[in-house]
Amino acid sequence: MVHGSSTAELADNLATTGAARNRSFWRALLASPSGLIGLFVVGLLIFCAIAAPVIAPYDPLRMAAGPRLDPPSMGYIMGTDDFGRDVFSRILYGARLTLQIGVIAVGISLTCGLLLGLVAGYSSGWTERVLMRLVDVLFSFTEIVIALACLAIFGVGLTNAMIAIGIASIPFYARVTHSVVLVEKGKPYFEAAVAAGAGHARLIFIHLLPNVVPTLIVIGTLGVSTAVLAAAGLSFLGLGAQPPQPEWGFMLSSSRDLISRAPWMMIFPGLAIAVTVLGFNLLGDGIREALDPRQRQR
Amino acid sequence: MGKFIVQRVLAALVTIWIATIAVTILIHLVPGDPVRIMYGSFQTTPEELEAIRVRLGLDQPIWQQYFMYIGRLLQGDLGNSIVGDQPVLDILLTRFPATLALTISSLAIAIVVGMSLGFLAAYKRGTWVDVSSMVLAIVGVSMPHFWLGLLLLFLFALQLQWLPVAGGDWRSLILPAMTLGLANAAVLARLTRSAMIDIFDQDFVRTARAKGLPKSIVLYRHALRSGLVPVVSMLGLQFAYLMGGAIVVENVFAWNGVGRLAIEAVFARDYPLIQGFILFFATIVALASVVIDVAYAFLDPRIRYS
Repeated sequence: MVHGSSTAELADNLATTGAARNRSFWRALLASPSGLIGLFVVGLLIFCAIAAPVIAPYDPLRMAAGPRLDPPSMGYIMGTDDFGRDVFSRILYGARLTLQIGVIAVGISLTCGLLLGLVAGYSSGWTERVLMRLVDVLFSFTEIVIALACLAIFGVGLTNAMIAIGIASIPFYARVTHSVVLVEKGKPYFEAAVAAGAGHARLIFIHLLPNVVPTLIVIGTLGVSTAVLAAAGLSFLGLGAQPPQPEWGFMLSSSRDLISRAPWMMIFPGLAIAVTVLGFNLLGDGIREALDPRQRQR
Repeated sequence: MGKFIVQRVLAALVTIWIATIAVTILIHLVPGDPVRIMYGSFQTTPEELEAIRVRLGLDQPIWQQYFMYIGRLLQGDLGNSIVGDQPVLDILLTRFPATLALTISSLAIAIVVGMSLGFLAAYKRGTWVDVSSMVLAIVGVSMPHFWLGLLLLFLFALQLQWLPVAGGDWRSLILPAMTLGLANAAVLARLTRSAMIDIFDQDFVRTARAKGLPKSIVLYRHALRSGLVPVVSMLGLQFAYLMGGAIVVENVFAWNGVGRLAIEAVFARDYPLIQGFILFFATIVALASVVIDVAYAFLDPRIRYS
């Protein structure tokens, strides 16, 4: 009974500490300028993606919604494109695709990279050496070449581009997870768990995984910006989004021949990509600072 | 040092070897019949497709195809392209000098701009110079290459008309090199700042200052030399990133390098050319990484003895 109540107290204490830690994390995140700006930009992006049908003045795909190549005005605040489509509405709807790209690509690379890194870091010996050597080799190929190879296999298109980017970033996530696992394995709590006879699954999922997660949250957030950039790049090259999708990289690509006549077609989609990437970069930096107070001194 | 060089060369050879396996497997991962995909638009009969399959060795077991590929590779034969039926190696070698010129000039820009900005930010830590340099760097990191390229093109080629829109001479290299270089300068600036801040806090720098050495000697002879070590170690990776970035930038400026060729090959589903490009890219990056690592080991004895 005594044992039971002390366990309950301990659990209660731990929960309180957890909640306190959460509060202090959010306070630290909101106190850092980069975290605050990042949170605002990412929040705005999510809002635009959700509210696009309500706030977009026109259908993003509707041709001749206005005159062709009309400069920014009260009616079309970001002007119109060569098909008379409203650039502002297309950018709002583009936020949906951008979020989708970020979530899918990072989801693929994070899951696979985490598993690879955990297995390699935990197993040590030959498995680790072979896996990490392979990861190093893939890493040296660079993400764009791996993505091109994937697109050569699957064919072009936005969904394939998201998958390609996800696959291309696996080596990066595997490397980071592996190095965090190596650090955690050397800590006394892990050695104590091994000495206490914890099984493989318990060691990996109860002890290692929760300690890898904070680092992965940081690199995952930063990874969204890389994924958005890469997808926009592939769409710009014509390998990702296809007409008439309102994807920002593709919109930039279609502005190329009209730069001198309609610079707004190039300026606004580019700005949307840059602000989104900046937002996720700042949010990632902010989360890193909030999780690791030593970083705040820098 | 000899052992270090051998280790690095062996690691590069492993990379190239894995690349050969990857490109052989690549064609088998294509859903459907790769021969039909490649030649489908050429009005070929089923008999002709079969003949092509036999010629490419695709009717053989995969391990046999791999050995055939390696055998041809050792003779410098990467096969012929589907479009134009030309030797892949010849096409790559004709286009590579343009990519090399772009990569090296952008690396130079990235080093000069990035390291100066990072050094200045660390030296003026906490001042408006530091804050504005780092704001500039994070904006630079977030800016898509291709958008920066279009903005530079719009400003310098179309509005001011100082530089040509495209072409093949050195003047037309300026805008693509600036685009690729400035984007990577932002990464180097952040790295340099962080490395220099660590160095400025070290005892040996404090001692040098306390001894009363002139500021310039403390900065350039003591701090800068040590601070650049971790930054120089990243140059191999930077080179790989620049080669990757060149793929996009070459397409913005119609620069006739291997990057532009790669995109054309993916569109045309020209698999021999795609395979050749990936292998060529992996080889160049692996060799460049050996050269940079060895040069770095010459500079920092701790590397070659560790």
